Amino acid sequence: MNKKNAFPVTPSTIIRLALVGVFDVAVLSLIRQLLDDGNYPLSGILGVVIVIITLCFSLENLRYYRWLGVSLAATTLFVLYPILYTIYLSTTNAGYGHILTKQEAVEFLESQQYVPESGQQYKWTAYRSLESTNDYVLWLQAEDDTTFLTGIGTATKPASIGEDGIGSADDKGIPTSIQGYQRLEKRDTVAMIDQLGELEFGVAPDIIRITSLTVAATTQQRYQYDSDSDTLTDAETGLAYHPEEGVFTTDDGQELPPGFRVGVGLDNFERFFSSSALRGPLVRIISWNFAYAILSVLCSFALGLFIAVLFETLPGRQIIRALLIIPYPIPALVSILIWRNLLNPDFGALVSLQNSVFGTAPNWLTDPKWTRIAIIIINMWLSYPYFYIVSSGALQAIPTDMMDAAAVDGANAWQRFSRITLPLLLKIVSPLLVASFAFNFNNFNLIYIFNQGNPPIAGSPIPAGHTDILISFVYRLAFNSAISDYGLGASISIVLFLFIAAITWGQFRYTRVLEDQTV
Amino acid sequence: MTDIQTHSTPIATTSYKKTNFSLNYQQRRWLGYIIRYIIAAILIVFAFVPVVWVLSASLNPSGSLVSIEVIPKNPGLGNYRGLFENQYYPYLTWLRNSFVVASVSTLLSVSSTTVSAYGLSRFRFYGRKTLMRAILIISIFPAALSIIALYTTFQQVGNHIGILGLDSHASLILIYASGALSINVFLVKGYIDSIPLEIEESALVDGATHAQIFRMITLPLAKPILITISVLTFMAIYGDFVLPRILMQSSDKYTVMVGLYLFQSADYAQNWGVFTAGAVIAALPILGLYMLLQRYIIGGLTAGAVKL
Repeated sequence: MNKKNAFPVTPSTIIRLALVGVFDVAVLSLIRQLLDDGNYPLSGILGVVIVIITLCFSLENLRYYRWLGVSLAATTLFVLYPILYTIYLSTTNAGYGHILTKQEAVEFLESQQYVPESGQQYKWTAYRSLESTNDYVLWLQAEDDTTFLTGIGTATKPASIGEDGIGSADDKGIPTSIQGYQRLEKRDTVAMIDQLGELEFGVAPDIIRITSLTVAATTQQRYQYDSDSDTLTDAETGLAYHPEEGVFTTDDGQELPPGFRVGVGLDNFERFFSSSALRGPLVRIISWNFAYAILSVLCSFALGLFIAVLFETLPGRQIIRALLIIPYPIPALVSILIWRNLLNPDFGALVSLQNSVFGTAPNWLTDPKWTRIAIIIINMWLSYPYFYIVSSGALQAIPTDMMDAAAVDGANAWQRFSRITLPLLLKIVSPLLVASFAFNFNNFNLIYIFNQGNPPIAGSPIPAGHTDILISFVYRLAFNSAISDYGLGASISIVLFLFIAAITWGQFRYTRVLEDQTV
Repeated sequence: MTDIQTHSTPIATTSYKKTNFSLNYQQRRWLGYIIRYIIAAILIVFAFVPVVWVLSASLNPSGSLVSIEVIPKNPGLGNYRGLFENQYYPYLTWLRNSFVVASVSTLLSVSSTTVSAYGLSRFRFYGRKTLMRAILIISIFPAALSIIALYTTFQQVGNHIGILGLDSHASLILIYASGALSINVFLVKGYIDSIPLEIEESALVDGATHAQIFRMITLPLAKPILITISVLTFMAIYGDFVLPRILMQSSDKYTVMVGLYLFQSADYAQNWGVFTAGAVIAALPILGLYMLLQRYIIGGLTAGAVKL
């Protein structure tokens, strides 16, 4: 490139190209490993990242893109890819029992061992290397009382007490020490049994594994996968399994977990829109989702605007303003947790205040109606300062001569506000109201932190709560270990995204942001 | 507006001056003030209830849960001591984690935002408009919607590169930093657009490169907007809960927000006073930052309102 365009090769060019080279090599090696896993989506996007970085920083024609190269690559990887991956997940059955890719499931199954009938069984005692924590030897006692010594990657050899390096026997005939190794006590063995179980002793084909706390045995690979016929064969029982809807299944319907991800087309979307089991809770969740977002924005904006207008000309408004903005800089999580505790039915301060004043208090955390009211009030508390700041700014942007003219013409304060101030102000802040609606529509934090979407909806086929909004419901679907329905969760995420995108796009068009901002 | 202009002036003027109260103008003004001060007082109470209450609870040595006394009987710092000496909850580690993650992410994010904004503002190249529209659309995809994808992605990458897996701050920082191409880029670009080109042109004539111009002319001039987006970004990352909650798995990797959440959900009654102390300390840095840079924050918010 440089030669062709007759650009001088400066040291900075060399450094730049060298950095690009190092980056490419590093990412390529990661891609290789991911390809070995069969992880094509991630490999693909990393390939795109390499292309972006390499082209932006090496082609002279694209030199202006150098200013954007890193951001573009990062956005591709951490913003665009999650979107694409969510779309992909939404068309699969990914979830509980179907977490792995097919290749990972096959690898897992192929790593399973069994003890063949001809297999030798031993009682075992483990000794840990004094030098390395990952090196062990086993002292094995066969049923006929012959004894062996075996290590990781070393052949199993007959051994007996008194040989070189083997210490004296204890009362059970087990050496108390082996040279270079320290015997594991019983309680260490119990604590480490999972770790020990993964070790392979001896050399193939006579691999010896620890199969229980007392028994070690020569084992063999249980499942063999044949990729040509797409069949998994069980060496122990002789059964043949074929993949069916994401799980290996015999002809007579026996399933072999773990399952794996397969594409299910638009099934998840169909379930979302038409499953009768989901409909009940979903209708509640969606209507509350809208009500919550709209009420939150309207109430917060109304309060913020009210404050801005009421105190606009009041002496001492700077102090009032400073005091009233206090909720804004406190991290939302802290505020929400404090509110949650204030409203706790057992020992919340506000609840005991209500009890002492009114003799009764609503159950803010378990009564669906009152929980919802609490959420709206808390959201008002959280966001009115923002609208107060924004409305004050907007009020100052409204020309005063118009107000003066109206006053001279005899308009009273309310007329001036409703006919002049409000329309002009709404024009300025309406994009923010829409953005705030979009934000609140997916305001996971408030819902989850305040009450985790609870109280629960009784009799719902999938756990759901009265204050759940769609995004907190998605969280339940994905991260509640009993369900873990990533596929359905992802498809709801996509629906939410399309909804928010449509609103935002409409707003951009309406306010001509696309034209103005992207000049 | 036309409505108002059609009012017949003489009648309107008289009705404006006529009053049903037997108060004169001065008295009515004072009455208005008093009513407004009362409303202000009520609102200030509403704003301050949680704040005052958490402060008082954190200073209350009894840790009494139902306590509604505003000033505790024997105020003391016992809860704060308990917070830092708690052996099960490494509060200081959480605080440090939050600071490290938020500072590094903010630095990276603001740097790449600024560099990108300069590129978009100063150069005209093929695909520029398409790119800007794409950024606007992509930036509205809420992070909360990609939690499943991010979780599985970092799980997979972590199998090969441990430091970019789950339970690693580097992963968190990368996600935050790559949010750079968001709405912020337009705020900065708008600001750079308003810096006159003449200064840069004369520098170009003098033989400066674009990199030099960016570093020595644009950056210093764009300082106000950079402070604004830095503070807002820092506040957002410091206060974030969803991502660290899902990606961080061991207690000593939590950020202070995740820690506080677990703190109070774990063992309510016993952690009570200590939780309130933790809440106060977690909020203080942001409050301080806000007090220091209030001008920039409010300026940034109103600029967003008026310009968008």
